[in-house]
Amino acid sequence: MEDILQPTLNGILLGGLYAIIAIGLSTIMGIVKVMNFSHGDLMILSSYLSLVFMTRLGVSPYITFFIVIPLMYFIGYYFQRFLLNRILGKEMDPPLIVTFGIAIILQNLLLLIFTPDARTLMTGLGLKTIFLTEYLKIPMNYLVDFLIGLGVIFFLYLFFQKSYLGRAIRAAADDEIAAKLMGINAHDIYAKAMGIAMITAGIAGILVGMTFTFYPHTGSQYLFVAFGVAIIAGLGSMRGTFIAGVILAIAQLYGGHFLGPGYQMVSGHIILLIVLLIRPKGIFGTV
Amino acid sequence: MNKKINKTILSIFILFILVLGTVPFWGTDYIMFFCLLFCVYLSFSQMWNLLIGFSGLFSLGQPAFIGLSGYTIAVATHYFGLSAWSSLAIAGLFSILFALFMSPFIFRVRGIYFGIITLIFPESMLLLFSNWEYVKYAQGMFIKPDHPISITTMYYVAFFIGMSALATVYLILRSNLGLGLMAMRDNEEVANTMGVETFRLKVYCFLIASLFTGLAGGIYYIFQIFIQPQEAFSIGWSVKLIFIVIIGGIGTIEGPIVGTFIFVLLSQWLAEYFSVSMIILGIIAIAVIHLAPKGIMGTLQGKFGLRILSPHWE
Repeated sequence: MEDILQPTLNGILLGGLYAIIAIGLSTIMGIVKVMNFSHGDLMILSSYLSLVFMTRLGVSPYITFFIVIPLMYFIGYYFQRFLLNRILGKEMDPPLIVTFGIAIILQNLLLLIFTPDARTLMTGLGLKTIFLTEYLKIPMNYLVDFLIGLGVIFFLYLFFQKSYLGRAIRAAADDEIAAKLMGINAHDIYAKAMGIAMITAGIAGILVGMTFTFYPHTGSQYLFVAFGVAIIAGLGSMRGTFIAGVILAIAQLYGGHFLGPGYQMVSGHIILLIVLLIRPKGIFGTV
Repeated sequence: MNKKINKTILSIFILFILVLGTVPFWGTDYIMFFCLLFCVYLSFSQMWNLLIGFSGLFSLGQPAFIGLSGYTIAVATHYFGLSAWSSLAIAGLFSILFALFMSPFIFRVRGIYFGIITLIFPESMLLLFSNWEYVKYAQGMFIKPDHPISITTMYYVAFFIGMSALATVYLILRSNLGLGLMAMRDNEEVANTMGVETFRLKVYCFLIASLFTGLAGGIYYIFQIFIQPQEAFSIGWSVKLIFIVIIGGIGTIEGPIVGTFIFVLLSQWLAEYFSVSMIILGIIAIAVIHLAPKGIMGTLQGKFGLRILSPHWE
């Protein structure tokens, strides 16, 4: 019994991180109706950006948040504006191919620039733990991820409910033509939405970098995490995203715990496929 | 005028097939190797185009069939001592069975998720095969048929598979299945209302594509002699298919032929640097989507009305 408690606790905490990895992807799936294959790689790009600023400026990873987040917003904004907006609407394949192409280009560029070596963002938190009992402990960095994840999702919820931009984004997502008639520039809104999605990806990227090692190819692994959470949650549910993050994280950690570390990712894939089979609209999905 | 051009191009095409069919009589080993790759990639790209261009299915799951087929042959020859050709037949069968297994998962949800759900399969297989002792983990397996096969024989098998793939797509588009596919691609809901069983059509196409992708993957690995999960289930296959079909012209039969030729030519220079080649293929594909979304053959068709193999109705 005790050996299952630790993976469960870790899974719950990791769920917060998974939720913030997924929230950007599911936002774009809901608003722009595009599956962003480059989500995971853009996230890992921000881990590398943080690493570069950290080593060049000699600051702690926490400070790099303030540089990487605005940078990611503009990357997302211009990515949507120049590469996706022009081919939206006609057919659904071209935007998918473009995001997939960007994913491949990014992965391989990172590989050429940074070599396939494992990297990590050192914070000093990695070794600290809080002991609950003799056998049960809370890793500090998981706790930080969990709290930041919770905070970001709460802020995003407020943003979409209360702010003008957030409501305009939701309006454009519901009915593009009606939103245009109301004087909303839908394409500009999409670009801003992608910028915001990339802010969440940027935060997620730095947190992932502080918690785990990362490589140029880790991006696709987190794309599946993000997609898994989005599908299990169903579109358009912030609370659902959080719970789905926990479900997927626990599934992966149990898989790793009982079958061996090589099966961690595969267990996540299998849970995702099972959910697809029984409830293709997700557990909390209304659409 | 157009008819005249079309006739000239048709004769060029027939000549091209004759040349391709007689390569072992006049070509060097290098040319034969080049044409073998061409036939393998032609089967892959015709099938991928059948999925994306005519059925609206953006499948990133093709590497699953390529890798599964290669591994089936490796296991069948290594552990069961079967001949290369009977294991190739089994590999084709396994590809269809695996496509049947995938179907309930991938056809459950809306179109934009299709790509990523199909991508889960090769990625999972990459992880599973790398952790599986029976297939020697990530070290890879050698494919040793009971008696050596000459490159000429291999070439003819590849040529036969490539031409069958081409003919299959040609015939599908002229059958009721093809009409249903076009209706479905243009407007799925209307097609459904008019009595087109879209679900069944999609599954048929997916099964046909899996068979030819598996067979072509099988002959590729019989030729390569060595198979490794990293390469067999690589996402790189999908990148190559996207490049070929986009640059040649999506939704035309001629497009993938031209695209495959350009790709195989390019790959002779790109082969050494995997990362660089992926970046170049990606950039070209994205540029073509923005500047000439119909690709080379699609643009020519639009300008000059060239139609040799693609159906005349649009």
